[in-house]
Amino acid sequence: MPTKQTFAEVFQSRGLSRRDFLKFCSLTSVSLGLAPSLVPKVVHAMETKPRTPVIWLHGLECTCCTESFIRSSHPIVGDMVMNMISLDYDDTLSAAAGHQLEEVRKKIMKEYNGQYILAVEGNVPTKDDGVYCMVGGDSFLNVLKETAAGAAAVIAWGACASFGCVQNADPNPTGAQPIDKIIKDKPIVKVPGCPPIAEVMTGVITHVHTFGKLPELDRMGRPKAFYSTRIHDKCYRRAFYDAGMFVRGFDEESTRKGWCLYKMGCKGPTTYNSCSKIQWNEGTSFPIGSGHPCIGCSEPGFWDKGPFYTRLADVSFLGTDTTADKIGMVAVGAAAAGAAAHAAVTAVKKKQHDKEQEQ
Amino acid sequence: MGRLIEEIYVWRLPVRLYHWINAFSIVALVVTGLYIASPVINPPLGEAVWQHNFVMWRYVHYCVAFVFTGNFLYRMYYALLSDDRYAKFGGFRPWSPAWWGKPFREQVESYLFLRQDEPNYVGHNPVAALAHFIFIFCGSTFMILTGMAMYAENRPGSFMDAAFGWVLPLFGSSYNLHYAHHIAAWIFPFYVIVHLYAVFRHDIVDRTSVTSSIITGYKHKVEDEAAA
Repeated sequence: MPTKQTFAEVFQSRGLSRRDFLKFCSLTSVSLGLAPSLVPKVVHAMETKPRTPVIWLHGLECTCCTESFIRSSHPIVGDMVMNMISLDYDDTLSAAAGHQLEEVRKKIMKEYNGQYILAVEGNVPTKDDGVYCMVGGDSFLNVLKETAAGAAAVIAWGACASFGCVQNADPNPTGAQPIDKIIKDKPIVKVPGCPPIAEVMTGVITHVHTFGKLPELDRMGRPKAFYSTRIHDKCYRRAFYDAGMFVRGFDEESTRKGWCLYKMGCKGPTTYNSCSKIQWNEGTSFPIGSGHPCIGCSEPGFWDKGPFYTRLADVSFLGTDTTADKIGMVAVGAAAAGAAAHAAVTAVKKKQHDKEQEQ
Repeated sequence: MGRLIEEIYVWRLPVRLYHWINAFSIVALVVTGLYIASPVINPPLGEAVWQHNFVMWRYVHYCVAFVFTGNFLYRMYYALLSDDRYAKFGGFRPWSPAWWGKPFREQVESYLFLRQDEPNYVGHNPVAALAHFIFIFCGSTFMILTGMAMYAENRPGSFMDAAFGWVLPLFGSSYNLHYAHHIAAWIFPFYVIVHLYAVFRHDIVDRTSVTSSIITGYKHKVEDEAAA
């Protein structure tokens, strides 16, 4: 397959009609949340733009992002990998391996210098020169820096690459850092989640391919189209929340009735993601839909906000695990005790003073 | 008790109004806020769509929060633009070493029973001024900023989001923001206890009618019977 084929040419070569091609373009723009007036722009891009070369690096991670990505249904990931983008390097999905594959990466970096998209899954252990993650004989820290140098843009897949995830949870033994702490001079789009929703991943790639630039980002560097609202804002159990009908234990009748999981530690009210909207596995369900509170996997530092099943996180304070409420109550108790003691001393002093005056 | 020898008008009406609106707002905000964090009342009977139990707590919290914020801004305005010398924080100069000097030290010593006499101030004494600055000024500012940022989360892209959305990234995540707001709320119950104790104690020890002064506006000096 020639590398500089456009998407329209791919359709043609497969014997699909122009009607099918236009249908696909409309569907894509709908899934991206674009206005109907932008469909011609999508068509134009698909007809004229050669497929975008993508280098997909894997760092310190569990590959759950790839597992999610290959389950995308709108668009189907096969279409995306084969046609829309040219996924030239991905150590999980590539047929080639070893030196052969590393050569492909070097070749793409040279041929498409300044044009390719760098997709990074996982984060970077920085302690001890990055020896805790070695790829192809070199530390991932070096590989990432080298590959990012010629990239047009960087996509940080998942909670690891975006914010750190479990690798940099306290005490972070390998000094793991998210991508934006390492790469400072490239535009980075963060696609957090553990893993991110498949359609969100393909949606971001389609956007980059169609418009040749990163999607509009929010203050945390995430695409607004998918991360502007909280899970809570579009949760189908929101009516129970507003009504004050909360599940208080997993063995209760309320669990079966599907009441709000707020009191079970659901992090939906503080988690920005599209789970309650797009859902998972072709819209089958999502954690809250399956009766489990959201753990907030697309939020920075979510591993350190545990336990998952209480509203208020444990914080370490003077060497013990405690909560904000316990600290507050101790402080207020101390204030009351202090005031009482001070009052007692005042009374004693006053009595002494009065006695002295009498004498 | 001795004769009343002096009557001073200290707290003018705007200051007294501010104080009481602030006091009632804080009580309402702490109660509703803690309830929102931990809703303990039994769930209502019937269909969820007909109930507004939990949403009412949030609604009251938001309404009172705006009253609290408006009241706070009004007090700042009054301090800056009125000619009320007891309301202007004019004597509060923590940046100057002189302020931490004799009067402040004397007041601390008095609270620690290191001296017999009680220094007397018509307005706030230096220790009280510092406490107000830390708990009421800094505390309220912090609670207003974090609270408004959380309120803005309800409507991304709104005016509130544009005005206060920048606060969220400072805390790292929405959860951290909620947590900071929650833990900082505890300074108010803490402060109320210390404040009430200090006021009652001063009233008993100095007999300046400081407690009723926040209702009537007047502080009194009473002749000491021993001296009479």
